Amino acid sequence: MMKKPRITIVCPLFNEEDNVVPLAEAVSRSMPAHESWELVLVDDGSTDATYAQARRLVHRDARIRVFRLARNYGQSTATQAGFDHARGDIIVTMDGDLQNDPGDIPALIAKLEQGYDLVAGYRENRRDRLVTRKIPSKVANVLIRWLTGVPIRDNGCSLKAYRRSLARRIGLYAEMHRFIPALAVGITGARTAELPVRHHPRRYGRSKYGLSRVWKVLSDLLVVIMIRWFRDRPLYMFALGALGAFVAALLFVIGAVLAPLMAGSNVDSIVLPSAAIVLIGLALFLLMVGLIAEVALRQVSTWRRPRSAGPASLP
Amino acid sequence: MAEATLSGTGIASMNRSIVRELPLTAQAAPVPEAEPAEEIYLTVIVRVTERPASLDDLYREYVAPIRELNRPFEFLFAIEPWARDLVQPLYELADRGEPIRILESARSVGEAGLLRLANDRGRGGIVLTMPAYQRVEPEAIPKLIAKIEQGEDMAVARRWPRSDRLVNRLQSRAFNFLLRKLIGQVTHDVACGVQAMRRDVLAETPMYGDFYRFLPVLAVREGFRVVEVDAPQHRRDRRTRIYSPGTYLRRLIDILGLFFLVRFTEKPLRFFGLVGMGLSVGGLIVLGFLFVQRQFEQQPIANRPMLLVGVTALTLGAQAIALGLIGEIIVHLSAARGARYRLLDDAPEDS
Repeated sequence: MMKKPRITIVCPLFNEEDNVVPLAEAVSRSMPAHESWELVLVDDGSTDATYAQARRLVHRDARIRVFRLARNYGQSTATQAGFDHARGDIIVTMDGDLQNDPGDIPALIAKLEQGYDLVAGYRENRRDRLVTRKIPSKVANVLIRWLTGVPIRDNGCSLKAYRRSLARRIGLYAEMHRFIPALAVGITGARTAELPVRHHPRRYGRSKYGLSRVWKVLSDLLVVIMIRWFRDRPLYMFALGALGAFVAALLFVIGAVLAPLMAGSNVDSIVLPSAAIVLIGLALFLLMVGLIAEVALRQVSTWRRPRSAGPASLP
Repeated sequence: MAEATLSGTGIASMNRSIVRELPLTAQAAPVPEAEPAEEIYLTVIVRVTERPASLDDLYREYVAPIRELNRPFEFLFAIEPWARDLVQPLYELADRGEPIRILESARSVGEAGLLRLANDRGRGGIVLTMPAYQRVEPEAIPKLIAKIEQGEDMAVARRWPRSDRLVNRLQSRAFNFLLRKLIGQVTHDVACGVQAMRRDVLAETPMYGDFYRFLPVLAVREGFRVVEVDAPQHRRDRRTRIYSPGTYLRRLIDILGLFFLVRFTEKPLRFFGLVGMGLSVGGLIVLGFLFVQRQFEQQPIANRPMLLVGVTALTLGAQAIALGLIGEIIVHLSAARGARYRLLDDAPEDS
């Protein structure tokens, strides 16, 4: 029986059979000898020998723990599984593909201890393809920063350090891991900081992303914006939309009044008032949807939330 | 189909083996009503809903190969209230010592409800479930159970070779083809409904309404290993089946519902957003076109129905997006509640 470690390093793994052992060794090398830590490996339904490799590590080093998901759920859920089983007060996430350098972990932790809830690494010299990886990522990051108002340079970098209380409240699902800083700020008002980290080209295996995720990222971004700005008052968001529709309706009404005056009295203007009616319908619809959103929020906030049972150090 | 409630009709007294409980057992763990004398190995669940065959014949036919397994087993017949008359012969069999239990739901709960009701009360580690009519030849049953014994989580019977009419086969083909195309369904005969599985597969797979049909699909989504086993079609299954148009419509709606469930439950905006964006962008293009005409070609647009088309498309698009956002709010809020994944527990926890 091991005593509770101070730091938990969470690594989701998907088909990383060649990387598991070097990864664990690199982590082990880079953690200071006096530090108490554990490495939580989450096998995300790999179809290769990842799990077998990871299991073997457990016998060699009691600080390594392995969890295996029943199928491939994706990086967000795998990371969440790691959060759920982490025992340390500080949680560090990193990719299982050795592109992050565990040597950066102590610096991240030192930064966290200066009073932040989340320290995100950003890759200074990214060692990836320019067109398919770096440019889309750059555009996405600018867009995310601009629309969420959370100043993070590199949302795609997995190497991050969290306070446990924060990590447990984010509730990652689907592909939300790309937006962790914005979510953290939106959900808990976390204090965030950034640090440059090293980035290595892939040694083994191949990259699991493609260029085809633009729509997914955009759609998710809309959700993140909603969570960031309207999580506790969704009615406002829908009311804003309703207001827009109402203003547009008003313009059409004005148009309907002015059109006969300007073009003489022979303009048959049934169309403009109809358009105004449709838009007023939209405004009412949006208001009602907003009310439903409030109902959903009210319902859920009365549920018990096992995950936030820990001490809430956050405002 | 018998719809009428039978309360007040001449039922030969309330037999003591009737379990009248609502299947809403989420909070109350069901307690077996009698201490079993021996460990039950296999629970056979027969869901009695539409067009049941003679149930005692069914029992006699399927119990033979199961008896040859030489393992303790039980048959649970899960029925809805209207089917009370049909199970009378089973009580006689039970009185003669056959391992039969009858579970009657207090109200109509559908096949998924019956399945849950029975699974909550089943005592076997392996569950075999089948509809209340013969689908496959009984000798196929041990093959299904053998798969579970070999470590699979679920074994699904596929009626193969089939010997029924072309009409049936074409319908079945079309249904399964659509499923495979939309959902990537791996099995070939979803409608067969004869399945063996570990007990926890049924307990842990979220299933409701008409989705019991797609239990293998849902089980795969929970990360269970599902295999298909060829089973010769039963001779009584060869009857030509033409259903009412409503039935076909319901099946189609089921498939669409499942498609949405599988693809977008966690990300509703990906779907609604796509529809909404399409409509909005279409509407904007129409409106932009009209604007150009009005502004640069001095054409009046106030009397153009095209304007209404544009505004309506924009409106519908905004509504779709709003609905998608509602979906996302619900998903997001409930994600903070707890685990949405299943861990394989063959890793002994080191703490």
